[in-house]
Amino acid sequence: MTRYALRHHTAYSYGRAVDLASHLLHLTPRAVPGQRVEAAALHVAPEFGYRVDGHDHFGNGVTWLFLEAPHAAFEVTLEATVDVAFAPPPPDAATPPWEAVRDAAMRPEGWEAAEFALPSALAPADRAAGLYAARSFPAGLPVLAGLRDLCARIRRDFAFKPGVTTISTPVATVLALRAGVCQDFAHLMIAGLRALGLPARYTSGYVRTRPPPGQKRRQGADQSHAWVGCWLGPAQGWVDLDPTNDLVVSDEHLLLGWGRDYADVSPVKGILLGGGRQGLEVSVDLVPVDEEQVA
Amino acid sequence: MVDGRGRVRPHWRGLLGAYSSLGYPAVAERARRLDRAFEEEGVATVLAADASGGGPRSRRPWRCDPVPLILRAEEFEALEGGLAQRARLLAAMLDDLYGPQALLREGVLPAALVAGNPHFLRPCRAPAPQPFPRLMFYGADLLRGPDGEWRVVADRCGGANGVGFAAENRALLARVLPEAFRAVQVRPLRPFFDAWLDGLQNLAPPGVDNPRMALLTPGAKQETWLEHLLLSRELGLELVEPGDLTVRDGQVFLKTLRGLRRIDVILRRIKGEQSDPLEFNAGWGVPGLMQVLRAGAVRLVNAPGSMLVEAPGAAPYLPACARFLLGETLSLGALETLWLGDEESRRIVQADPDAWRLRSAFDPAQPVALGALDVFSGRGTTPPWMVAATRPMAPSGAPRLMGERLDPAPVVLRMFLARDAGGAWRAMPGGLAHVLEGGGAEPQRIAGPPPRRGAAKDVWVLAEDGGDILGPAAPRVATLPIRRSSGELPSRVADDLYWLGRYLERLEANARLTRALLARLLRGAALPRELAEIRALTRCLHASGILDAEAAASPADGTSLPRALLAAASPAGALTTLLEMVERPQAAVRDRLTHDMWAAFAQLSQEGRARLAAGTTGLDALVEAMGAIIRACTGLSGIAAENMVRGGAWMFLDLGRRIERATTTARNLAHALDQPPRRMEAGLRLALEICDSALTYRARYLATVQPAPVLDLVLADPGNPRALGFQLNAVKDRLAEIGGADDALAATASVLAARPQRLVDEVLMEVDRDAAAARLPDALLALEHETAALSDAVARRYVSHVRARALDEDETGGAA
Repeated sequence: MTRYALRHHTAYSYGRAVDLASHLLHLTPRAVPGQRVEAAALHVAPEFGYRVDGHDHFGNGVTWLFLEAPHAAFEVTLEATVDVAFAPPPPDAATPPWEAVRDAAMRPEGWEAAEFALPSALAPADRAAGLYAARSFPAGLPVLAGLRDLCARIRRDFAFKPGVTTISTPVATVLALRAGVCQDFAHLMIAGLRALGLPARYTSGYVRTRPPPGQKRRQGADQSHAWVGCWLGPAQGWVDLDPTNDLVVSDEHLLLGWGRDYADVSPVKGILLGGGRQGLEVSVDLVPVDEEQVA
Repeated sequence: MVDGRGRVRPHWRGLLGAYSSLGYPAVAERARRLDRAFEEEGVATVLAADASGGGPRSRRPWRCDPVPLILRAEEFEALEGGLAQRARLLAAMLDDLYGPQALLREGVLPAALVAGNPHFLRPCRAPAPQPFPRLMFYGADLLRGPDGEWRVVADRCGGANGVGFAAENRALLARVLPEAFRAVQVRPLRPFFDAWLDGLQNLAPPGVDNPRMALLTPGAKQETWLEHLLLSRELGLELVEPGDLTVRDGQVFLKTLRGLRRIDVILRRIKGEQSDPLEFNAGWGVPGLMQVLRAGAVRLVNAPGSMLVEAPGAAPYLPACARFLLGETLSLGALETLWLGDEESRRIVQADPDAWRLRSAFDPAQPVALGALDVFSGRGTTPPWMVAATRPMAPSGAPRLMGERLDPAPVVLRMFLARDAGGAWRAMPGGLAHVLEGGGAEPQRIAGPPPRRGAAKDVWVLAEDGGDILGPAAPRVATLPIRRSSGELPSRVADDLYWLGRYLERLEANARLTRALLARLLRGAALPRELAEIRALTRCLHASGILDAEAAASPADGTSLPRALLAAASPAGALTTLLEMVERPQAAVRDRLTHDMWAAFAQLSQEGRARLAAGTTGLDALVEAMGAIIRACTGLSGIAAENMVRGGAWMFLDLGRRIERATTTARNLAHALDQPPRRMEAGLRLALEICDSALTYRARYLATVQPAPVLDLVLADPGNPRALGFQLNAVKDRLAEIGGADDALAATASVLAARPQRLVDEVLMEVDRDAAAARLPDALLALEHETAALSDAVARRYVSHVRARALDEDETGGAA
């Protein structure tokens, strides 16, 4: 088990005052088996008109904020303490053939997974992504073996290159570029799996980074991260794979929530009246708390 | 109409008797009158984006067959029962699918039909602290088979259109063909609307006695707008657009000139996914509306997401859902439909593909363009789970008027149901039917919008003897306080009225200038004085954008000036554009205009266009066109002055008109008086003509034209409604009425209003008054600019709209 102290700070500055703003935040770590949320708090400036905390269709925590006085800046900070220890998945050979998982998703026993086997706006049923993914799934292969192989191939075939893509870059373009960031790799893997009929969900959160040997951690240098939840069938449920780092998620990831794609779980959304130009600064710190401190 | 042995069915006898005694030529004449009545009501002149791409605007005539579709009392009763049951089922399905999803968990309904449905709006499934009703209004499209049984073709839960048109059909048919209504006892529609209103009022959040209700429309640019207008009138609801509403402190408010007014119940006629940009990414709607709905502080009828249960793909599962959720068997049949996401259904359809018609599994009106083979091979771009197959049925015919005789034609019937105050579903005793032309009984066509060609039909439900014609008890409403002024005018409406006033005045002023110029050009061989007048008029028309610089600079006796004027009347010309500018805000404020005003606007629009088109043929015809436009504009001013209550609507209409007339009068007088002192008489005569004051002048001063009396009449005379001072005084009065006597804008206007008298006084103090008049243009142009600045300030204060936009989002960078 690893305990993390998380701080995710988002600061907007506006060229002109915003008269009225409404925000929808997906900024609460989700309590799931393998992740215990010890404490989580959202700090907001300026003073909001009113705030509502609730849940979305997927069960993720959601916060609505309504800022009703003119303001030239908006800041929201998540501070949380979270214990993480995701159980390892079953051995590959113990998982069903991928075709059985595909078929189960469209039967009543797969009713909750079906949603993630169908295309969504940012992870559509892309033919090229399907062809790319299909190479990892020869007939009869246990589904987890195929998933691990696909994850490893994405890590191998694609360069991590910030700035070459945006959130609106289609999966097909990422496939042609052979480069992108975690969001792109997650969407690509999801689109490929869905093209095969396998349920896959977009998972939003953070990953632990390690400074180069001999250097100190830089303050605020961590980032939001995204990976893929994959379905192993009704008996074995979901396992999280990180194609950016070719990892099975265990204790280096901290999870916020999941959806069909990024648009379902975007951390900070908003609609503004007024405001002019927008400036945005984001900093994330995900720091393991020393065992001694925990004790 | 006739039974199997050629005998007239009893319920048709009364109506056919009425037609026979009138005589069919007379019935045909009534049909033509009915068409004209729709045209006068503006039903035929809705400006709408042409979905077929046939042009930016199309005028789609609404045709109503004078022969109604008749439903017997017991036939209607069976339909009402069957549809009410269906509505209860669809409401229960919505509650389940946006809630616990037992239908999916228990395998009653395949999950892909929900998860894959674009109308499944996930934000609507976020748990609500205060559960809210999701379906309170329902429509169904039905077809009668050869066996006489009605079957459902499509369910309408998103917002069944046509209920407003149904009321309009009934009203106009009753006006044009009253004899028919005397021959049979027809159940009136009004009790249904009363019960519906009562049901809407009952929905209001607890503690609200006199709920404020509004009909939320996407606006006048949409095809459905007229339906929304008719419906809002029928129900007496405020007609609002998303931009008129705002969410503050957990409640929904209407933005009015006097501040925010709370809204409690919204009849939603915008798409669910366009109701809240914060939650649906559609970039449109009222930010925060969904959260107010969840908190129970407003009700939306129907709630967003209700289109989910229209899905034709779900049709084969409805009987099982009814057993599961209600423990009932559906009493009303439906066209046989299969969902191709199901393997067995695929096999059935594939075995006999010609017997089926494919349509979207999620949208009843959406045909699937691909051939059946693509769907089955899995190689098409449309996967089978997105497709439903419906077995078409030859509908039975109903009589309609063809020329001067009755002729059977297949019809589709749309019926409407609403929940009354007790929560029971009630069907409107009537509906909207339309004739299917060309035998187009394709399920998706039937479920689509009313066809471009082909007539609508009123639907008559026969009353049982002694009649259930009495309505329900009056709805429960608290005693209303007396209200006089309508300061609660939505700001957007004030905006549209203001610009309507301005554009109407602009059109009239330019028509006057053009007519004055044409009169001189037609006289031929101009005198030097007339040449000066022609030059002044071309300067005025150039300044207002009717003539380009080249035409304005061309010789007064050449051919290019007449050519330029004829071009201005062409469809893309400046005069036609002005007419269109009047039409735009006019359509948006139609609900604020009296019937007579609307008819006068419709006439200006129709006659103006026709005359302008004819006016391109020659200068004489163009003179007539200008005359017609001027008459129509002054007629409208008269109606506005006599028929509009002096409230917010009139104030903004008049404010726009006065500000426009003040700026154009100042500018035009500046151009008219821009003459050498020795030619000032020409300028003065022109000034009188521009201000339509020549007659008054002659009555006062006979034929002698001198600067001081002319300038007094056109600038300062407080009794001359064409004088500059009169306009500025009116602007001051309107601003004081709207904003209060000590309003800063009114104070500015007051300073401007004193200026014309001062200009006249200055001329009077001079010995050489011609020279003094020749110095006026600069002062007049300065006044024009100051008035324009005042107009900008008015727009900023009262009518400017800020558009909402999305926050830039942080891209998930992802550490590697």
